[in-house]
Formats: sequence, C-alpha cells, structure tokens
Amino acid sequence: MTIQNQTEKIVMGEIKSGRVKLRSKYLFLVEKFGLGSALILTVLLAILFFNLVLFYLKSSDNLGYLSFGNGGIFAFLQSFPYLLVISFIILIFIAGFIIKMTDFAYKKPFGYVAVGLVSFVLLCGGILTFTNIAERIEMESYNPRMTGRFMKPFLRGGLGERAGGVAGRVVKIQDDYILIQTPNNLIKLFTTKIDESFRKKLQPGMFIMAIGQNTKDGFEVRQIRIVSEQENQMVRHGVHRRFGNFINR
Amino acid sequence: MTLDQFTDEQLIVEVRENDKEKYAEIIRRYQLKLSHYLRKFIKNSDELEDVLQEVFIRTYRNLYAFDVNKKFSAWIYRIAHNQAINHIKKNNKGSISLDEHEWEIVDEKMDLKKEVDVGLAKIRVGKGIASLKDKYREPLILYFFEQKSYDEISDILRVPTSTVGTLIKRGKEALKEFLENK
Repeated sequence: MTIQNQTEKIVMGEIKSGRVKLRSKYLFLVEKFGLGSALILTVLLAILFFNLVLFYLKSSDNLGYLSFGNGGIFAFLQSFPYLLVISFIILIFIAGFIIKMTDFAYKKPFGYVAVGLVSFVLLCGGILTFTNIAERIEMESYNPRMTGRFMKPFLRGGLGERAGGVAGRVVKIQDDYILIQTPNNLIKLFTTKIDESFRKKLQPGMFIMAIGQNTKDGFEVRQIRIVSEQENQMVRHGVHRRFGNFINR
Repeated sequence: MTLDQFTDEQLIVEVRENDKEKYAEIIRRYQLKLSHYLRKFIKNSDELEDVLQEVFIRTYRNLYAFDVNKKFSAWIYRIAHNQAINHIKKNNKGSISLDEHEWEIVDEKMDLKKEVDVGLAKIRVGKGIASLKDKYREPLILYFFEQKSYDEISDILRVPTSTVGTLIKRGKEALKEFLENK
C-alpha cells in the first residue's frame, strides 16, 4: 500500500470512528471575537495612555524643571512619568503582536502597519487632549473606587516628593525661609541663596517651583521661579485637595 | 454533481455541514502534492507519513477556521508548512534530494552554471538548498518545486507579496554563491 492510500485510510478511519472531530465553529468565532476585542481594547488603552502622558507633561511640574536649565534636569528625570510611558509602549507592542497574529495585515509590510498603528494612536491621543477625559481620570484617581485605585500609580508621580525639585503654593514668607504647601505636605524652603528682590515679589497664594536639595529640615533652594496656576494644574489640584482652596485654612 | 466538479471550497462547506466522508476527496486531491512538498523538509518516509497524516487531521479539526472566500490550497499548505517547521525544529535537517523533474526545473528556472557532472550537481543543489536559511529555503521550494504564485506563497508563509519576491531573489543569490564556492 502506498503512503498516499495509507494516509487516506488512516485519516478517514480516525474521522469515521469519531476520534477526530471538527472543532466547533463557535470556538473559532469566540477566538476571532476575543482577538478582535483584545486588539480594540489595547489600542483604546494605548490612546488613553498617550493622552495621559500628554496631560501629565502639560499639567504636572515635570517639564517646568527644564526651564531651570541644566540644574533642573535631575528634578525633571525624577518627576518623569516612566510608568505611563512604559505602559504606553507595552500597549503598542501588544497591539502590534495581536495584529501580527491576525490575518488581516500580513499582506502588507509590517513596518507600514506599525507606522499606521502608532500614527493612529498618536493622532487620537492628541485629539483627546481637546476633551477633559484626562482631567476626569486624574480626579478619579483620588477616589477609593477600583478605577481610581487602578489609575493612581500612573499619575501619582506628578504629585510625589522629589529630592531635587519642589512645587507648591506659598503660605508664609519669613526672613530665612518660605513656607509652601505641596500636595503632600508643608515644606520650608530655605532661600538664603536667593536674591532679596525676588523674595519681595512673593505673595501668599502664589504658586512657585524651585530646584535645589531636599534636606532633613526642608528644602535648600538653588533657583526659584513663580508659576501660574495653569502651568501646574496637577500640583494645584493636589494642594487644593490636601489644604483646601483658601490659604491658612 | 460529481465530486470532481466541486471546488475545494465547496467541498469544505459540504464536509462541514453535510457529509464528512467527502473529506476523503480532499485527501485524495492533496496527499500527493503535500507529500511532495513535505519531502523537501522530511527525508525519512515514516516520519513523512506521520506528518502528512497530522496535516490532514489538523486540517479537518480546524475546518471551521477556514474562510471559504479564500483559497483552500494556500490554507492547507500553510498547515503543512507549520507542521514541517515543527518537525524540523525537533530533528536535524539534512540535504534535499531532487528527482529528475525537479532538477530540470532548478536548472531551467534558476539559470545555474552548467555542470559537467549533472549527478554531482544535483546533490550539490540539494545540499545548497538545505543549507539556506529557512526564510529563503521555504519560498524557493514553494516557487520552484510547488509551482506556487507569489500571492499563494504570501498566503502560505504569511508575508507580504513584495517580500516573497525579495526572499526568492536573495535565496537564488545565496544558492548561486553556495554552488560557486563549493
């Protein structure tokens, strides 16, 4: 008997005996639907995370530290939204992997598909900045609900304490220090190295950013500048949440 | 309507919905072609038979995954290809043996340099193809020995059609280099 005849006999024997069965069509439908849903969810999350990265950069103190020049780089790196950016990159990779697994894109060079995917995500993420979704997510991250707890680690970096920088609202101006409210605490900024004329410009209620060094008693300021509330929205929200909207309350 | 008049895709619909015994016709249509294709990867005839059976069983099990608007031939070759790759991963690959007909195809299509000793050249071409990287070897085999079009190879290997052309061109260059240096 030739290999061919034997193959037909053995395979058909397995099928007729019922040992080899057709896998249910619903199984394939579920698989297809699952992959499609996973792809859509991943792309949506990538868009959302890119939008949150933009929101973070725009509304936290992170980019502000760069305005201090080289001295601000350390504080910038400390406050950079690593978790958000890494999650965004991972989501893009997962979406690319799912696309590779599915049938619809293999006819086109994967490079083009990848560029298309990234462009789509960046464009949609950019468009989302015209909405208040990111701000609502930031608000939600303070809630004890599950979604809030999930998002908190991603945005917490915008409010954390940094060794080389600080941002907050001025509440008291003394001869040798300024007391400010940050989203975490009241901090004394030691301003002996700061020009007296600048200190005179300061008023309680103003928002400031400074670079220098965190010490046991407070923060030794090297450079300081006044910022508008709009520049540091995340810090402002954090301060308001912790201390309220009114100074000395 | 006799079985001969059914297209592969119509037969699959029949097998899925009405008559599983019609799958025997699919086996008859593809067993020689696939056996021929798999022989490029598997030299041992017992192993070849096992892999061939596994290909038909896998194909049957997954018939509902096949989109009847596409070409069945490319789909079943894809399954055979995956099985062959799995087999190669488990076993060491050896040289490829070419029969008379295949040698003519290689000689004619690849424009290899003339050899005085054709028998020796056949062995060397077989060894040359076996020595190629998988990414070049697979499209070369499908194009030259299985007579598949670029589009079908694209479906089988899941790579863009333009890439198929590039891989075949580079595969030919690598094979020529192998033959010139040996």
